Amino acid sequence: MVIDIQEQNGGMVAIFEGRLDTPAAVKAQQEVAPLMENADKQITLDCTKLEYISSSGLRLFLALRKETATKGGKVIITNINDDIKKVFQMTGFFNLFEIRND
Amino acid sequence: MLDSFIFLGLNWQAWITIISIFSILIVMAKTHVPPEIAFLGSLTVLVTAGVVTEAEGMAGFGSEPVVVHAAFFVVMAGLMQTGVLYWLTKNLLGTPKDYKEAIVKLMVPIASLSAFLNAVNVVALFIDVVKIWARQIKTVPSRLLVPLSYAATLGGSCTLIGNSSNLVISGLYADQTGYSLDFFAPLVPGLFCTTVGIILVLLFRNMIPCRETPESSFESTSDYTVELLVPTENNAVGLTVDEAGLRNVHGGSLIEIVRFDKEIITPVPSDEFILGGDRLIFAGQINEILELKRTHGLVAADHHVYSINEIDNDRKLRTAYVGFGSDLINSRMSENGFEHHTDMVLVAVARQGRRVEGQPREVKLEAGDTLLLECPPKDDREIETLTKGSLTFFDSHFVPELGPKTVVASIILVVMFLLSTFHILPLMATTMLAAGAMLIFKCCRMTKVTRYIEWELLLILGATVVFSTAITKTGIADIIANNVLSICGHNPYIIMIVMCLLASLVSEFVSDVGASGVFFPIVYREAIALGCDPMPFVISLMLAVTTSFASPIGSSTHMLIYGPGGFRFTDFLRIGIWMHIALLAANIFIVNLVYPL
Repeated sequence: MVIDIQEQNGGMVAIFEGRLDTPAAVKAQQEVAPLMENADKQITLDCTKLEYISSSGLRLFLALRKETATKGGKVIITNINDDIKKVFQMTGFFNLFEIRND
Repeated sequence: MLDSFIFLGLNWQAWITIISIFSILIVMAKTHVPPEIAFLGSLTVLVTAGVVTEAEGMAGFGSEPVVVHAAFFVVMAGLMQTGVLYWLTKNLLGTPKDYKEAIVKLMVPIASLSAFLNAVNVVALFIDVVKIWARQIKTVPSRLLVPLSYAATLGGSCTLIGNSSNLVISGLYADQTGYSLDFFAPLVPGLFCTTVGIILVLLFRNMIPCRETPESSFESTSDYTVELLVPTENNAVGLTVDEAGLRNVHGGSLIEIVRFDKEIITPVPSDEFILGGDRLIFAGQINEILELKRTHGLVAADHHVYSINEIDNDRKLRTAYVGFGSDLINSRMSENGFEHHTDMVLVAVARQGRRVEGQPREVKLEAGDTLLLECPPKDDREIETLTKGSLTFFDSHFVPELGPKTVVASIILVVMFLLSTFHILPLMATTMLAAGAMLIFKCCRMTKVTRYIEWELLLILGATVVFSTAITKTGIADIIANNVLSICGHNPYIIMIVMCLLASLVSEFVSDVGASGVFFPIVYREAIALGCDPMPFVISLMLAVTTSFASPIGSSTHMLIYGPGGFRFTDFLRIGIWMHIALLAANIFIVNLVYPL
């Protein structure tokens, strides 16, 4: 699991690559600290190369969402694959996040 | 000389036998090893060590008690499936006005019935009826279940087939003497003890414990585990458990979250997020937790649910228990497909009135478990037909159809009793004949008939007979008999009292069947040594081993009411001790009157 965090157009972009399973999510929690610090901005989670997400991974997204909600930012999720789409449909993520397909 | 000093006069075979018997006791008391395994294990030791020959070791399984029991299970299945037993339960008991009257109206017919059917079967049959009765006279079932158990065992002591131990003793007697006991040999002493027993229960009725029953404990007791699902569209999705007000809820708390990918979060931190598809496991008072369905839009479901609107509002909760022989035993609801097949959802599981840790749908079910199920809005009877062979509902509406087969099954039963009572055929032959007749006349289905046979009991019975052989063969019976005679003198009355006391005490800790197997050879040897007729000794032993009512282990009928009555282990002690002493006295008195020495 690799997370590449960049600043783009005044917002933050995090590119996820690989499988965000439970052990990866524990590690990722520290890696997304820069995103938490910039929760007043627009944060884009680029999931083009994300293969799988576990419930712990979803928890990470929710934590970001909560942080941005308090600080005035926004989370956008882009380019999820079909499997992750199914997970999002079941867990109700489509109602919580702005989800885009480029 | 050295031998008699070291081994107390017993040879090594005798010691192996003694050690084997005590090992069974210890294994049964201290471990969860099933009793039949303990018995068979010890039997293996006896055969391997050469204490009994292979033929002797296997002879037990073809002995009268085992064969009669096996055949009788089939007869009972026929009586059950044709509605004979249903008819009896509906029509045998009247409507009592108060508790005192209820005891009499319950005990007299139950005692009469269990003289002709097996006492254990009678108790199993009447547990549910007694519960309904208890509601009518506004008392807890436990107050009527104890009299039920007493009546069945006491009534069962009146004939050879009423109690398993009677059959064991009569079988051993036939082996020793070559003469079979009369079917009604224990009738008069048994009747007397039954009468004394009923009067005693009436007198001591205040000592019968009041206990909440498992199914009512779903409503009243706290501490049950309830599983509810978060639908996708639920408002709580994306919030933390605290924000959603789902952590500490009225009447309970959230102890576990099971995610869609089976990840389990326990304990649940206050900032844990809720996702659609989460299964929330609450512990607490069931009724109040189930309110969360209304207040928080949670649902009970076996599959994923997107919106609460998918769930029918008319679904209702019913309690059922997993019966012996149910196909749900040893399976998990999440895996066995039962919920999908029946459109029911398991909400909570209770075992012996206590909550079972963890996710209800992941619990490996056991016989006797009480389940709280959310049922589809179908006709109750339709649901019961659907779940037949798996569950028995506490508020059962199931009625076997009464018809020509009911009459046929009753006739088979009556003919069986007539044939054995008038010695036209031996007991073993008549019960086998009756079982065959039940099958031929289609009173019970051939395909599932072996399910009704309690193989575990048959194995224990078979092993018990072998132990009895070993006790006689190795000289243990002779030595104990001679020692008791040398200590207690040669007064047959004193010997009888001492032996009954010992046998009934031992039978408090092992089953009545086990105690009769061990004590029969000893008592028989003593009678012979005293030059007395063994008959009074044998009959008094029959009564002594069955009147052990102070613990649930000693009495097979107590064991049966233990779960449904919500009893604790020591509950039977208070009234049981007095019953034990009084019935022992009644036993000695009446046996000596009917069969004078």
